[in-house]
Amino acid sequence: MGKTMVMKIMERAAHKEVHAGERVWCDIDRSTARDFGGANCALQFDEITENRGRVWNPDKIAFTFDLQAPSHSEKVANNQKIIREFAKRQGITRVYDINHGIGQHVMLEDGIVKPGDVILGTDSHMNLLGAVAAFATGVGNTDIAASWLNGTNWFRVPETMKIEINGEFPRGVSMRDLLTKIVGDLGAGGLDFLAAEFCGDAIERSTLAERITLCSMVTEMSGKIGLILPNGPVLEWLADRAGGEVRERVAAIKPDDDAPYISVLKYDVSKLEPMASCPDAPDNVKPVREIAGVKIDQVHIGSCTNGRYEDIAAAYDVLERGGFRTAPGVRVIITPATTEVMKRCAREGMIEKFLDAGIVFTNPTCSLCTAEHYGALPGGDVGCSTTNRNFIGKVGKGSHTYLLSPMTAMATAVRGVITDPREIVCK
Amino acid sequence: MGETLKGRAWVFSDDVDTDLIYHNKYLAETDPRKMPQYSFEYYPGKENFAKEIKPGDFVVAGKNFGCGSSREHAVYCLKEAGVPVILAETCSRIYYRNAVNNGYPVLFVKGLSDAIKAGKIKDGDSLEVELANGSIKDVTSGETFRGDAVSDLERDIMAAGGLIPYLKSKKKAGERDG
Repeated sequence: MGKTMVMKIMERAAHKEVHAGERVWCDIDRSTARDFGGANCALQFDEITENRGRVWNPDKIAFTFDLQAPSHSEKVANNQKIIREFAKRQGITRVYDINHGIGQHVMLEDGIVKPGDVILGTDSHMNLLGAVAAFATGVGNTDIAASWLNGTNWFRVPETMKIEINGEFPRGVSMRDLLTKIVGDLGAGGLDFLAAEFCGDAIERSTLAERITLCSMVTEMSGKIGLILPNGPVLEWLADRAGGEVRERVAAIKPDDDAPYISVLKYDVSKLEPMASCPDAPDNVKPVREIAGVKIDQVHIGSCTNGRYEDIAAAYDVLERGGFRTAPGVRVIITPATTEVMKRCAREGMIEKFLDAGIVFTNPTCSLCTAEHYGALPGGDVGCSTTNRNFIGKVGKGSHTYLLSPMTAMATAVRGVITDPREIVCK
Repeated sequence: MGETLKGRAWVFSDDVDTDLIYHNKYLAETDPRKMPQYSFEYYPGKENFAKEIKPGDFVVAGKNFGCGSSREHAVYCLKEAGVPVILAETCSRIYYRNAVNNGYPVLFVKGLSDAIKAGKIKDGDSLEVELANGSIKDVTSGETFRGDAVSDLERDIMAAGGLIPYLKSKKKAGERDG
């Protein structure tokens, strides 16, 4: 019997043959923490080592300030300070402070993520790094603090579901819509304890941004990791950032033809239409046409799921076709994933056009993924967002959120009510 | 036979996400002892959980309990409140990991989701739970359930009191990892 991609990754890290369902100890390539959770990790590490401990390898640890960057309260500011001081004391130089952006994206751009790496982080969307075939998973602070002791941790070797995606997206329809469809089909627990491998011709042609979107939402099905084998321009980009070694890594983790899959799902995106996650759960999915006309108070475009340049450019295209105007009474916020993304938006003149259209363009951060950062919704308001969660009261008690693609979100900003973007881009 | 735990049931649905257990609004808290006051504040109908929970009460849930964020706060807030064990048909994987790593028991109980939907186990029911063999009795309704055993490694980590004490005991014994 052959091996799946995640099995090959775990075998390298565990230095032994692995089988689905068993527990193994894997060497950790990166153990990271954010401004949220990071202070807990640092305090816990100091406590368990009685303030005398040294982390196993400072070069393999990174801190990313993204959830509440810049800090919005004394408590958060103090947590960030705890992290900075811990890093200094431990000789950890990779502290991506408040001026960088969303951690996983920043690490990717900085070239410290390679296919086949085993990565831990205090962000449940760490697994978006599966977009470059890294096995990255979100964990709590105990897992991080423990891994800092000796650079290993325990894992259950997951079974894998194969999801084959073929066809060309129709105009106005994007990878986000496909993901929303899959989350609706499989449900919130549809991938619990499982890995997914995404393949098919639509995946082979997809951009890094699209792969990130796809892999990030595996979390909303409780999946462990979604993996895509880098190829084409994505592999070139990765080799440029992370070094030529990534090509050998890719060859080493390619799944075998006779690898065991618990099931194989197939999607043809050429028949897909814009989709939405309706209040108050990501798996409460309907086609956008069924909810068109719902009045919206606030539109947000950004997050680790849809905050890359391509996502913002897709929204820009809709805004341009809509006459560079947003509807009166709708608050619109755009948050790029990283400073690199923001600079490109600035260079191409997009930010000025957004500002002229009455849109707030923020620094790179997780923004609306926490109620306590900017963009929180008051009770009774209805928002739409390209983030990945719309649980009850997630961004404000008594508010409700629709999760949409960047194109649908901007079409909604232009009209002030939920709008199928094909009405604007297919004219 | 092991010790029998007795307490009241607090019953929850399927797919309870971590924002409902412990809302993101309170993530900046780093002291676990201060976390119970926020438990289930956003769960409709369970807003008084934090005030009314008594040590020994059980959290009873359907499938995929604790989906969403990786925040360990969602484990601490129940452990520190004195909830002795989570009874759920299944837990979301990160939540399960966080529980194991804190030596906090979780029993996976087949059929619990349907039993909750059918009203066979309700808020306020008196429960008797034997952790050692996984037997669960709803004294109020007369229904019985059985929790699954966990793998050897998880049992060892929980028995040690969590991942950190487990690693420390291994180190003392001169073993590498597990």
